[in-house]
Amino acid sequence: MESFFVRYRNLLVLLALLVAQILGLAIQVRRNAEGRTSYDPRDSEGVQLIRLWANAVVSPPERAVANSRSGAGWIWENYFDLRNVRQQNQNLQSEIDQLRLEQAELLEDARAGQRLEALNGFQQKYLYKTIIAQVIGGSGTDLSRVFYLNKGKDEGIARDMAVITPEGIAGKVREVYPHSAQVLAINDQTSGAGVILETTRIRGILRGNAQGEPAVVNILADQRIQPGEKVLTAGGDQIFPRGLPVGTVEKVEKDPDRDGFIQVVVKPASRLNGLDEVLVITDSEPRLNDKQLKDLAASESEKSVEAAALNEQKKASQILEEKLPGLTDPNAAKPAANAAQPGDGSTPAAPAGPKLLTPQHSDRFTPGYTGPPAQPADQAPKPATPKPATGNNPTGNTSGANHPATQTPKPATKPANPPSEKKPEAPKPQLHPDESVPMPAPKSNPNINP
Amino acid sequence: MPVLTANSRRDIEIHRYPAVLYLLVPFVALVLQALLPHWLGRFAYFDLPLVVTIYFALARRSPAQGMFLGIVLGLFQDALTHRAIGINGIAKTVAGYLAASVGIRIDVENLLIRLVLNFALTLVSNGIYLLIYRGLLGMDFAWSWLDMILQAVGNSVIALVLFPLLDRFQVRD
Repeated sequence: MESFFVRYRNLLVLLALLVAQILGLAIQVRRNAEGRTSYDPRDSEGVQLIRLWANAVVSPPERAVANSRSGAGWIWENYFDLRNVRQQNQNLQSEIDQLRLEQAELLEDARAGQRLEALNGFQQKYLYKTIIAQVIGGSGTDLSRVFYLNKGKDEGIARDMAVITPEGIAGKVREVYPHSAQVLAINDQTSGAGVILETTRIRGILRGNAQGEPAVVNILADQRIQPGEKVLTAGGDQIFPRGLPVGTVEKVEKDPDRDGFIQVVVKPASRLNGLDEVLVITDSEPRLNDKQLKDLAASESEKSVEAAALNEQKKASQILEEKLPGLTDPNAAKPAANAAQPGDGSTPAAPAGPKLLTPQHSDRFTPGYTGPPAQPADQAPKPATPKPATGNNPTGNTSGANHPATQTPKPATKPANPPSEKKPEAPKPQLHPDESVPMPAPKSNPNINP
Repeated sequence: MPVLTANSRRDIEIHRYPAVLYLLVPFVALVLQALLPHWLGRFAYFDLPLVVTIYFALARRSPAQGMFLGIVLGLFQDALTHRAIGINGIAKTVAGYLAASVGIRIDVENLLIRLVLNFALTLVSNGIYLLIYRGLLGMDFAWSWLDMILQAVGNSVIALVLFPLLDRFQVRD
């Protein structure tokens, strides 16, 4: 027995290690209600501890390297500058070489400065509270597209915060450590962001494919989706604010896993493979600067002034409506008399309107006009009084109340009142322009031609 | 004349290194593996911790040491990702064991054999990763065979440079 263990010692150790790790894996995964296996999004304490250790080991050198990229430039510049001053009189050639090196370094610094300036400018005009962070490292494998930031919990970063660049979204914070944070990039297979195609307004979920390209999945085949269309965040995932640029459609492919569905490969707006500085949205409440607040106040005051002016116009039009003569027949019967009483079981109540005046000079455009009279007026049959069209009047009321052309003009500010709720207005007596006394409405006289 | 058995060859050819090298090299490999892909972008087709595991397993010719180094580096790599901890651990444990087992039986000083071993063990390691992910855990995971082969080639090229460099630190009795 002893020889068995001695002989197969290595194999037994291997089996023991494998079994232990498989058990560890089994603890970390969960089977959901649909029978699919997935990671527990919240790591257990033990797993968190291992991740914290690994981060504590790897993060300091990463931070050192990231800092040294700027610190080394400072040391380099200052040290060699002084050395150049000392050697200036001795060796001009060495100074020229040194200045060339310095120039290259400054060029790099200038580029970094421009990048930071652009980022800062973007942050200033951005409506949400953000923190600028530097990318210091990654997972080291294409199988997990995460990267690490040089800021963490102590700087105000928390889980599920959106990480963006001035060009577009980059990812979301997945894990937070005291002075660093792990960000899940949008091109990882396990990431998910709600997006919308700008022109076609088709919504979908953005996640990475095997090649590390972000793709919008769960979309039914649609001919309208064309390369070049912009993709924006939809805002429904509670992580990315709505309307942030994601990228542009690069190509449309069939979904290999689902018939009838397509996946839209997106060219990301942000340079996911070479991120240097990013913005972390720490608060999605709008952060308005002084100018924006001033603009908002001015807009509010303008709105109230406009509303007051509109009210004045409304009053003026009402006064005009009451005072100006209208196309109403003062002798017409009260519309309420002809209108059916609501609730009496007969025809439904219709809004009553003023009676249409008979035309003084009928012509071929007059309703019911049959042509010029051929006989003298005293012998000719009296033409029928023109009636307004009643085709739109369900009640059969010929008063023309429902005909749009016969309604008394109303100010445009009263469209909300339904016709049935309008109180019928008593027709105003028409005044003669010279006599200023009520004048009966003239009857139709076919003998008088214009 | 004594017969050169596997055990006697193993005793003769076990390489020893300064203790600090056992800590420093894996540590540097982990840090570089986290840093370099960030700079190289999608062209980072290599797995430095696996190359280091294979090197020490071949040089020490001890399956136990190969497994130990593999499990430590694998778990560290897993901890730096957002996926479950243990998948890389298992893959590199097996790779370390196989490398050391092969190292006992064949001459691993030959550069060509080292290249082939790196290529093959990288494929084995990635295959185990895929097997665990899809078979054992039953999770969806898209995979690119081209990337896998490119990584195997990348590891072989790195081994071409790294192995002779690390050989210089061998402690001679």
